[in-house]
Amino acid sequence: MSEHLLEVSDLHVTMQRRGLPITPVDGVSLTLDRGEILGIAGESGSGKTLTLRSILGLLPKGGVTEGELRFSSDGGQPAPFVPTAVHGHGISIIFQEPMTALNPTMRIGDLIAEGPRIHQGMSKADARARAIELMRLVGIPSPERRARMWPHQLSGGLRQRVMIATALSTEPKLLLCDEPTTALDVSVQDQILGLLQELRERLDMAIIFVSHDIAVLGELCDRLAIMYAGQIVEIGPADDVISQPNHPYTAALMASVPSFQGTSEELQGIPGHPPDPTAFASGCRFAPRCAFARDDCTQTIYELRPTSDDRATACIHPEVLAQP
Amino acid sequence: MTALLEVKNLTVNFRIGSAMAARLRGQTPPDLKAVDNVSFEVERSESVGIVGESGCGKSTIAKAIVGLVPISAGSVELDGQPLTEKRDRATTRRIQMVFQDPGSSLNPSLTVERTLSELLTVHKIVPKNEVPERCGELMDLVELPRSLLRAYPKRMSGGQRQRVGIARALALNPEILIADESVAALDVSVQAPILNLFNALRSKLGLTLLFISHDLAVVRHVSDRVVVVYLGTVVEDGPTEQVFSDPRHPYTRALMAAAPKFGLKKEPGKSALIGEPPSALDLPSGCRFRTRCPLAQDICAASEPELVESPTDAEHLVACHFGWTDPPT
Repeated sequence: MSEHLLEVSDLHVTMQRRGLPITPVDGVSLTLDRGEILGIAGESGSGKTLTLRSILGLLPKGGVTEGELRFSSDGGQPAPFVPTAVHGHGISIIFQEPMTALNPTMRIGDLIAEGPRIHQGMSKADARARAIELMRLVGIPSPERRARMWPHQLSGGLRQRVMIATALSTEPKLLLCDEPTTALDVSVQDQILGLLQELRERLDMAIIFVSHDIAVLGELCDRLAIMYAGQIVEIGPADDVISQPNHPYTAALMASVPSFQGTSEELQGIPGHPPDPTAFASGCRFAPRCAFARDDCTQTIYELRPTSDDRATACIHPEVLAQP
Repeated sequence: MTALLEVKNLTVNFRIGSAMAARLRGQTPPDLKAVDNVSFEVERSESVGIVGESGCGKSTIAKAIVGLVPISAGSVELDGQPLTEKRDRATTRRIQMVFQDPGSSLNPSLTVERTLSELLTVHKIVPKNEVPERCGELMDLVELPRSLLRAYPKRMSGGQRQRVGIARALALNPEILIADESVAALDVSVQAPILNLFNALRSKLGLTLLFISHDLAVVRHVSDRVVVVYLGTVVEDGPTEQVFSDPRHPYTRALMAAAPKFGLKKEPGKSALIGEPPSALDLPSGCRFRTRCPLAQDICAASEPELVESPTDAEHLVACHFGWTDPPT
């Protein structure tokens, strides 16, 4: 039985909004295997980004994390860790907007060399050579010349590659991706997704990829978690979750995505609005918008229930989605 | 029969940098050709999608049509009448635009009712005493509760605000609605009903729709016809189903291959599209796409291909030397 790389149990994030306490992440548990790509899908405000960022302790001011995080940096049993202590030691992160995430006052080469210099104590010359090597790894053409350039001189796609190179510079076992392709054009997005998949294979690195774009996640991920109102409502192999949802929210989400194939029938959409985090309903949080809601849906206590070996859903009546 | 809207050889140049500095250096100031010799027609009640990557000029085309940017060359004709930058109110009313971000395009200090009634009064759409009723009807049209008339934009969700943006455009009874990335900022569950709304408005009001987006799947959902734009020129123009099932320009093909497809498994990173578009200030000779094109031959550098219609279908046009023939191998 293989050990997990990362285990997140009962993660809560609490913060204040206009003087009221809110819990935008409420009881998230998940595990990740070595070299696996897990996608987290959800709409704005579902808590997907906060879940990702709390793994590295990168919460907005006033955010408090509760719950247990375990990570195996050496291939053994996952051990608890302090989020801020794993920076540069096994877990790296890349962000949506490389222009604001890269220090504009540093040359590309120095940006990438900073990690190895600080965390691995490399000499300046070694770190520079390593930076060039990493730039080549992420497919930046003429790396020697580009290493002397500033971030603003590069295009969006190249900047995203630089950010990936800085993330890889400390040889992470886990790469966290916070919507890294949302700001890019489809052709560049496709190149970056291809690069991530290739790097996963070459470096045996696991990835958690957060996005609102189901089509992107379906393409990249092995497993997919769907978040709604701070909770994971469904998790399982990406293909299965997309083609055979076990939660009415997932099903409604999939029916909203415009597709490339088949007749362009009416898109469904989801009536109503996501709940206000200051006043979550009791029971299933999706029940007020759910087409299949029953009386007992408002009584239930949140829990991810396994439906098969590799799938789980928070819906207590997943049978309503069964195909006739 | 003439088309409702005809864009003829439209060119929009932007002067960039300081013209004075360039003159002092003895150079002519550089012009950025955002839109270069673009032609297409839109029939009445038709829905045309304009797709392309960022910086390709698709929004500039829209702005030139509504008169928000000056036209450098060519013309935009409505019912055969050329439109100029200075337009009377009656012409302005006929073409209306819905913007990407309703949060910044609606006046934050006005309630929805004030926003709508101001338009109705200034343009004298209905007699004064009928203004409140018309506001209500507009809300019905975009499927919003009338109670939101008293709300400020800040209090509404993104989807509701976008519906107000559509109501604002519809208040002037336009013939043509231009939607510029109108659903790009919305979550899919909110985006879907708005796309359905566009389709419903078309059939209900006989609206002509010009839908601008970078998202191919979205365009496929609302458009009868697609115009694909690359670096300021039209590379392909044809009926939606045909362009999607049999794209003839290598750029269209690559774009379709690169787009992640919901419900279809594909390997990322296998698209033929390499690198990124060249700068519009330093265009390659001949075909603009040749630097990234897998089919590029000598002729592509020598001459710029024109939009040529298919030998079998006059509706489908492509600007590629090998659009309707096979390239030499």
